[in-house]
Amino acid sequence: MTFGMVVLAGGIGRRIGRPFPKQFLLLGGKPLLVHVLEKARPIVELEQIVITCPEAHLEETRQLLENHGFDRRFRCIVGGGTRQESVYLGLKALEGVDSVVIHEAVRPLVTVDEFRALIASPDENAMYGIPISFTVLRGHEYVEGLLDRDELVNVQLPQKFDLPKLVAAHEAARAAGTSFTEDASLFVQHTGERVRILPGSERNVKITVPADFVMAEALYADVIGRGS
Amino acid sequence: MGRTAVVTGASQGIGRATAVRLSRDPSIANLVLVARSADGLDATAAACATGIVAVHQLPYDLGDLDGIPALVAGIHERHGSIDVLLNIAGYAEPRSLLDTSAQNLVTTFTVNVFAMLVLTREVVRHMQGRPIKIVNIASTAGITSRPGWVAYAASKAAVVSLSQTLSEELAGTGVRIYTISPGRTATELRRKLAPEEDPNTIMQPDAVADVIAMLVGEGERTLDGQNIIVRQQI
Repeated sequence: MTFGMVVLAGGIGRRIGRPFPKQFLLLGGKPLLVHVLEKARPIVELEQIVITCPEAHLEETRQLLENHGFDRRFRCIVGGGTRQESVYLGLKALEGVDSVVIHEAVRPLVTVDEFRALIASPDENAMYGIPISFTVLRGHEYVEGLLDRDELVNVQLPQKFDLPKLVAAHEAARAAGTSFTEDASLFVQHTGERVRILPGSERNVKITVPADFVMAEALYADVIGRGS
Repeated sequence: MGRTAVVTGASQGIGRATAVRLSRDPSIANLVLVARSADGLDATAAACATGIVAVHQLPYDLGDLDGIPALVAGIHERHGSIDVLLNIAGYAEPRSLLDTSAQNLVTTFTVNVFAMLVLTREVVRHMQGRPIKIVNIASTAGITSRPGWVAYAASKAAVVSLSQTLSEELAGTGVRIYTISPGRTATELRRKLAPEEDPNTIMQPDAVADVIAMLVGEGERTLDGQNIIVRQQI
């Protein structure tokens, strides 16, 4: 079995007027993207690591890889206009691998062990997930219904898929014009196959809004032994 | 006779807030605003328009160290004295160690440290034996670790050191040097350092300007030589 990886680094810095894309934000002094790639570096099973990034930041991302000494396993490509399109382009850029691990730059606190456990999982397709610890309801301006949180899962990355099957699922989604915010739902919807849920970690936070960054800084300080 | 105050970095942030604050100070006659951005200086001068002080704009790039002696001589010649020097101009380009270029280090130290030192030297040279107040803006980044801000944090540590050293070296000459280390302040520079932060939740430049105004007041005689930490308190 051979493995490749797609790392999504497609932010363009639009949210709250950030002067540069989120993947370049410094957490503990290092760009978020570097945090992720450093976790992938020791995993020899990952034969190719493709980073999808905006065209306007392609050279900056390549420079980052060079500055931080990432070898030829790591390469950048231009992503698409949506997350789904970027994943598809990343999948198509992988050559000769059986399985793909998908991760994103905005989850910098992923661990090497989490990557290793995902790769070692006997399931062909797997993802990390954690229970929902808060109440969820349906509704917009008014409550329209209840949702049983025991039947829900907070989807995390990284995820792992059989590469040809995921490519086929993406092509089916493109043909059907359906869009998804992550790949497990796309995969299940368009293949009908099962995706194993591995127990994730509350610490593997996704940095979406500014408060997430504050939390990530505190978690990272704890990781490196500088927490208060 | 009113005093002449020179404010660097006057086009925005703490520099602008300080200029506005001092424009209402009856002990000041002339306020000389120095910054790279002529447009920014226009905006600051406009904000000072309701004050009681004559405001003079002097666009200048402090990255040009060689021109600073002529800059200071020109101010001195025009106004007859430089009684207050506020070294507020700052530069930051946060990068991880492996992404930090030599140019980043040079520019950061040139603006934050070397220009401050040359300005101070020239002002003291012109004002031998007369009372001068100098306020140097450092940062809390200069006294605690700041991963990812190596050039900026090191430059601010240098500001703390040079200020304390010069305060002792010039003791008894009438020159009083103060260092202010602001904590998180809602400025454009801070936005570069912490782009995820909501500027409405941190200290505003006016708070630092109030402290500067207190220090440059003629009655203040006890805090020079110290690194004064200014933080928003809850």
